[in-house]
This record gives sequence, C-alpha cells and structure tokens, in this order.
Amino acid sequence: MAMLQRRILKSTLEEAKARFNFNWYPILSPCASFSTLPSSSTTATAHDHVPPHLPPFDYQPKPYNGPSADEILAKRKRFLGPSLFYYYQKPLNIVEGKMQYLYDESGRRYLDAFAGIVTVSCGHCHPEILNAIVEQSKLLQHATTIYLHHAIADFAEALASKMPGNLKVVYFVNSGSEANELAMLMARLYTGSLGMISLRNAYHGGSSSTIGLTALNTWKYPIPEGEIHHVMNPDPFRGVFGSDATRYAKEVQDHIEYGTSGKVAGFIAETIQGVGGAVELAPGYLKQVYDIVRKAGGVCIADEVQTGFGRTGSHYWGFETQGVIPDIVTMAKGIGNGLPLGAVVTTPEIASVMAQKIQFNTFGGNPVCSAGGLAVLRVIDKEKRQAHCADVGSHLIGRLRSLQDKHDIIGDVRGRGLMVGIELVTDRKEKTPAKAETAILFEKMRELGVLVGKGGLHGNVFRIKPPMCFSKDDADFLVDALDYAMSKL
Amino acid sequence: MQRFTPARRLLSEFKCSLRRQRRCFSQVAPNVVDNNDGFGPKIPSFDYSPPPYTGPSADEILSKRKEYLSPAMFTLYSKPLNIVDGRMQYLFDDKGRRYLDAFGGIATVCCGHCHPDVVEAIVNQTKRLQHSTILYLNHAIADFAEALANKLPGNLKVVFFTNSGTEANELAMMIARLYTGCHDIISVRNAYHGNASGTMGATAQSIWKFNVIQSGVHHAVNPDPYRGVFGSDGEKYARDVEDLIQFGTSGNIAGFISEAIQGVGGIIELAPGYLPAVYSTIKKAGGLCIADEVQAGFARTGSHFWGFENHGVVPDIVTMAKGIGNGIPLGAVVTTPEIAAVLTRRSYFNTFGGNPVCTTAGLAVLKVIEKEKLQENAFVVGTYLKERLTALKDKYELIGDVRGRGLMLGVELVSDEKLKTPAKLETLHIMDQMKEMGVLVGKGGFYGNVFRITPPLCFTKEDADFLVDAMDHIIARM
Repeated sequence: MAMLQRRILKSTLEEAKARFNFNWYPILSPCASFSTLPSSSTTATAHDHVPPHLPPFDYQPKPYNGPSADEILAKRKRFLGPSLFYYYQKPLNIVEGKMQYLYDESGRRYLDAFAGIVTVSCGHCHPEILNAIVEQSKLLQHATTIYLHHAIADFAEALASKMPGNLKVVYFVNSGSEANELAMLMARLYTGSLGMISLRNAYHGGSSSTIGLTALNTWKYPIPEGEIHHVMNPDPFRGVFGSDATRYAKEVQDHIEYGTSGKVAGFIAETIQGVGGAVELAPGYLKQVYDIVRKAGGVCIADEVQTGFGRTGSHYWGFETQGVIPDIVTMAKGIGNGLPLGAVVTTPEIASVMAQKIQFNTFGGNPVCSAGGLAVLRVIDKEKRQAHCADVGSHLIGRLRSLQDKHDIIGDVRGRGLMVGIELVTDRKEKTPAKAETAILFEKMRELGVLVGKGGLHGNVFRIKPPMCFSKDDADFLVDALDYAMSKL
Repeated sequence: MQRFTPARRLLSEFKCSLRRQRRCFSQVAPNVVDNNDGFGPKIPSFDYSPPPYTGPSADEILSKRKEYLSPAMFTLYSKPLNIVDGRMQYLFDDKGRRYLDAFGGIATVCCGHCHPDVVEAIVNQTKRLQHSTILYLNHAIADFAEALANKLPGNLKVVFFTNSGTEANELAMMIARLYTGCHDIISVRNAYHGNASGTMGATAQSIWKFNVIQSGVHHAVNPDPYRGVFGSDGEKYARDVEDLIQFGTSGNIAGFISEAIQGVGGIIELAPGYLPAVYSTIKKAGGLCIADEVQAGFARTGSHFWGFENHGVVPDIVTMAKGIGNGIPLGAVVTTPEIAAVLTRRSYFNTFGGNPVCTTAGLAVLKVIEKEKLQENAFVVGTYLKERLTALKDKYELIGDVRGRGLMLGVELVSDEKLKTPAKLETLHIMDQMKEMGVLVGKGGFYGNVFRITPPLCFTKEDADFLVDAMDHIIARM
C-alpha cells in the first residue's frame, strides 16, 4: 500500500504542479491564482505575505547524534517491509518531543497538531507521567496478574470512577485493536447472537477480526469477516440525510429486520470518527440506535479510542456528547499518553460471561503501564485538560470557520474540543474531494512547522488532534499557517 | 463445559481429603512448614535491598480487583502474593521478603527484572520521545529491526512490530491466508497461540476457547513424547497433518503454526523429526510454516537462539513476544520480503507498534543476551537443573516426567506412574509450599499438573540447587 500510496501521491502532486503552476517555496512571491477555484473577494491579510512564526517555547532539545533520515529510511525499506508507509515526500526524522512540540534531527521545532494520532494526550514527555513511568520501571516492569500489584487495581478503580452507570469492570489490553476484539467477544458471548453492526467509514482496528468492523476499504484486506454488517454513516456533511438522525437510525432498524435473524450481538461506533476524517455522528443518532439495538437483544459498544479522556471538551467521554450510556466502552491511544495500553470497561453482568473460560493477557495491566495510565488521569484532572480543550477548541474552530469564509477550498469545519477536522473540496456544491490540494497543503504545513494528520476515505481531511496542552497561541499559529499556505495555492 | 475451579477451593478440599484417607505417598503432616526459618534449603544470597513498601496491602488490592477487574482473573496461590519489586532473578513481596522467580512472569523476563542496561535504555528513551508512530522516522525501530533480522536464518528479514504475542500470531495467520489465498490453518492440539478471534481458533485447549465462531483451523494430534500415542516417533504424528489436509481441506492450505516447545500446554517438546516432516507436507500443500517463538525464543532453549532451530527447520514466518522486551509490551512478526509484500495490497497499521521506547528496550535486550552470554548460561544452568530434576524424578514416583531444554523446563506430576494419572492437587500443594520456601514456579499442562520452570536467563546453578532442594524437601514430607 505504501508503494501504491506514494505513486498516487507523486502523481497527484505532479498533476497539481502542472495545473497550478507555482513555486514550491514562495516566501514573498505574489499571490498565485487558481484556474479552477474562484478567487476570494476578501482582502489579503498580512499573513498572506509573511509566513507565521511558531509560538515561543522555553526548551532546548538534546543534540542528536544518531542515524540520519536517509540512513533510517534505507533500513526501514530493508527491514520493515514495503507496506510500512510514512508521511511526507521527504519523511521527517522525529527524535524528541516536549509537550505539544516535536523536534527533528536538526533540532528544528514543530507544532504537533496530530499527537502521534490522537495518542499523546497530556503532552510529549510530560514530567509527571514521565516520573511515574521511570519510578515504576526501576521497581518492577512486569510480573503478570497471577501475582497482586497495587498499580493495576488503583488504575482500574480510577478509570471506573470516570464511568457513568454500572460500567465498572475493567480489562486491560495492549492496544485499541485488542480492546475492540475483546468487546466483540463479550457482545457475542453475552447475547448468544453473532451479528455485529458498525458504521460505514468507521475504523476499529487492524487485526483480522476488527478489520471486519472497520469500514474503509483502504484498511480492509480480503479475508472472511464473519457476521458483520455496515450501516449508513450518519455523516452530516456527506450523508444523504444530512443531520437527520432519525432517518439514519431507521437504516439500522431495516438492517436488523431484513438482514438478520431479528437479534444481533451488538453495535459499535466512534462518536467522532477518527480515521474516517473527524466525522461527528448526527446529533441524536446514538440515542435512537442504542434503543433499536437493545430491543434486538444487542449490546452497545462505544469506541472511545480517540474521543475519550476529555478531548471533546464538553464531556469526558465522546458518547456523553450524544447523551447515551453504552454497555461496553473501549479505549486506547490517549489512555497512556503513548504507552502501549488499551482497556475495555463493562458492567459486572456482561463481565460474568467471560468467567466461563480463562482469558488472560500477559502484558495487560502491567505495573508500568498502569502507573502511567493513572498518572494520565491525574494530569488530565489536575491541569483541567477537558475545560482547556473546550476553550482552545472553540477558539480554534471559530478561527477555522472564519478561514472557511475566506477560502472556498474549505468545504467543512467540524468536530469538538481538540478533535477537529477540516475537509477540503474543489467544488463546494459537488463537494468533490480536493485530494491533490490536501496533499500539497499537508507538505506546506510541514515546511511551515505544523504537523497535522490526514484522514477521510479520499484523504482530503486534515485531522487536528493535538496534545491537550495545545494553547490558543498554537491554534492561532496553525490557522495562520493554513491561511498562508492556502493563499499561496 | 469445563468449570474453572479456584485454586483455593481445590487446596482446601485436598487438605480435607488427606486427613481422611491414605494416598500412594504417606500422609502429609498437617502442619507443613509455614515459612522458611531454619528448616530446609536457603535461598542463595543476593546483594540488594528493595525500598520499603508503603502502598496498599494485599487485602486492599484483592478487594479492588474483585470490584474493578475481571471476575475470571486468577492468582496462583491460596494466599495470593503481593509482588512489589524485582531485581534480576528475584522478586520481593510487600514485606520485603525475597523469592526466587523461577517463572519469569511467564517466560517473559529474560534478562532479569529491572536489568540496569534495559532500564537505562527505557528511561533515556522515555525522557526523549515515548511515541510518535511510524508516520515519522525514528532510528530506534530501524536499528532494532535490523538487529532482530540479523538473528534469523534464511531470508527472514522483514519485521512487523505489534504489542503482544496474540497480535503477532493474528497478523501471521492473516498474512498466511492472504499470501496463499486459502483459509485453512493447522495447529497442534494443546497449543496456545493467543486469545483474539483468529488465535483463539489456533489455540487448542478447551479452557481457553470460548463458545464463539473460530473458523478455518484444524488441530493435529499432539506429538507429545510423554502422553502421545506414538511416543517420540515424530514422523508418525506428522502423518496426521497429511490426513488433515487430504481429507479436511481442499488440499491446499494457508499454513501451519506451532510452538517448538509448548508453553501453556506444559513444556511439551515436539517429538523429534516432527517439524521437518510436517514442514515438508505443508509446503507441498502450498502453505506457509509459522513458528511461534513467543516462549521458546530469545536464547531460552540454550542450545539455540530460536526454538525452531532445535528441530532443524527454517519457517516462513516467525512470531515473538514475551521475552523480546524483558517485559515491555512488545511483539513482532518476521518473514521474507516476498511474503511481507502481501500487506501492500491495503494498509496495515499498528499505532503503538514499533514505538521508540519499546524498540529501544528490545535492542537493549538483544545486547544484554549477547554481552552476558545468556544463551550459554541457559544451556549450562538448564542442563544442570534438568539433571538434578531427573535425579529427583528417580527418587519420587510422584514425578512422572522431566522435560524441556535450557531454561524452559517442565516437571509433570502423576499419582500413578504407569497410568500417568495427573496429580493436580499435589501440584497445587507443592506449588504453594514452594512459595512458602521462597521459590515461585509456574503451572501448566491441560491437567494443570506440570510445573513450568522458565526463569530469567541469569538464573544460576545455586538458584537451580535451591529450587531442586526445596522441591525435594517438600515432596519428602508429603
């Protein structure tokens, strides 16, 4: 896929270059004009002519004496296989991180607006979390749960206390894929049914079973998936019913009535689809669907791998933004600020079916990851990260919406808190994905010092999901950089 | 359906039955040694004192576990052990008491608990960069992949990093299925390969298999030299694989997966001659051979670095986890460039896999194994330990079999040597008593009657003596 991706990227970039005919590094060049997009009528701001500057940051990275980017790339090609893809035409050698910034081999600082894919929740090398990890690593890295240890118990208790309803039994695993695998197993055991339902455009994992739940062809290898069906995506921007949740929910009802025995094992969804391009489910959708699924004997699984831990700003968990309480919640990524850790939380009732056999995870709940996870929960509370996400997030979205008024290429700005998506289109009416332009802007942002993410089936959505210590100044810098880059297109 | 009976209940039942009847060994003294003061062998000396423990007590932890963790989560002893500190081959409980760790956190801690080189690597990298994903470059993953590939024979040089053995085996199975276009996979009865949907199918012990669909896996007769119907005749067992293919599949299969020495299954070494014969059969059927090195890999068998090398075969895909990072959550799949190319058909991505901290730790582990000659130590100490255990077997009828290689050893207990009746209760009792004496071993086997001895590879001859002497002391008093 990496080779295919690179070929596509190369050809779209060539195509774009030919079409738009502009220089790669226009510092003070006059504004280029698009042939296909109507030029904006607003007057050019100062940002159009001078590239914006990173907010100041009082930190010096250690000098780097390791292998160069080229050496690493050559080794990767040899020992990590052709399928291991990477960002950017000239890949970035990231050697150090501090809070919301990353440093390359030359010591250059970048604003990390993607957080290692929504994973570094508190900030790179956050001192408190670092301390917890280091101290525990010196005492005991691993012994397994066949012996007692307080770290797993304390962490499970703290996590359970963040959950509503009767969600208080925690299973620790090592990744989001493992968590969703386990959730699916629980659903099937508990209900005695097989059928799972997930949303088109969802991403739930890369293991052979979670590939079945994932619904984006880029990530789906041609293997048998078992009883899994994908329903219409309640996508307010591209969905056929706009934001009409009831119509989308009826789809689920129809699927159950016509496509299953009438009973299902469960339904799983992200509240804001991550890989799918920061798509927030139409308001009111989950409430209706949860009802329908439960009437069909199924359980409701909330995949909080990306939206959890206060990122949405308004609530701690993504599912809370839809006013529902799931039966099973899965999490990973931000749970450990980058530690390999995942979790499944469910009710004692559902957990009891798992007691029929032995289910054991060797690394799951190890002292170091549990200590790190507990530190993350404490930092999020102590530093009031959730409120911060709401604050900075609304500022960021506000500025992006203004940018949308200025640049026609911005088709949609969506999301909540610090989980934001910017969808680029070449035609606002047709919503034609602006793949080539996204690729160019993506590179441009990197040159300007901003590392964003990319998503959506067509790769035309910028995903802005930084460490939650991202500031208003960072937001301004990001938007100014985007403005600058777009004005130069 | 098999019910999972808690150890505590079995143990108390056992103690009651002992007082009621005589068994094949003379009656057990009702007051067994509670702690090791003055009686029996002494733990070898060790110059390290753990910092004082001021955290929650065992009871507090237990009650939190009951409330917030899986109801099926089990512990190994009638009075569960609160382990708070570890150093090399020793563990410490909340009272600062030292134990010999003969289980290694399930064959996972290979260099030693909190080995200074590994800890230093982890700490230094954690302070620099914990996580960024492979979307950006970082030298740690590349250097480790290279070092790992250099340890493997043939054209096995493309590495995929995962976070666990289950993830590694799942990926290996998917790769085999994609590469061949077939779905059928053969694994061996009594195997353990993981607990996700594909791997649960490959795992072949009912206690680990939930009542959910596990498709496309066929289980072959276990080439078990001790309990198997063909004894140690590997080739006879291999014919079962041929039959499975000829009669149970289309004739072409995706692949075959096995451990070189079954871990969870009770340290069962596959009968000699089995793997070469099976590999040949699999290749004829167009399938790939997957070697699960999660427990047997990384110098543990002593004679070789990898378990499969003991059988004289070269697999197409090798999976690893556990010891690869001395306890850090890490797994890997290594295969040939040709096979690896199947994943280019779509995108495969693992968020945490290959992160700088875990790969730095992995590289440190490889360096320690080499620098401290741990493979050689595993061979020397393991051979010595096996000899002493074999002598113990000659002494006590209770010990039915001693097997394994290097520091992956198993001791199977039977109440009848001829019938090989599993001595489950005795196993629990001895295990508990070993802990009281200061030795932590593991348990396994389908009947739960096998001691699994898979310590950190820095285990010494003195440690081996202590372990055997403790076992001797306990069995003598039964």
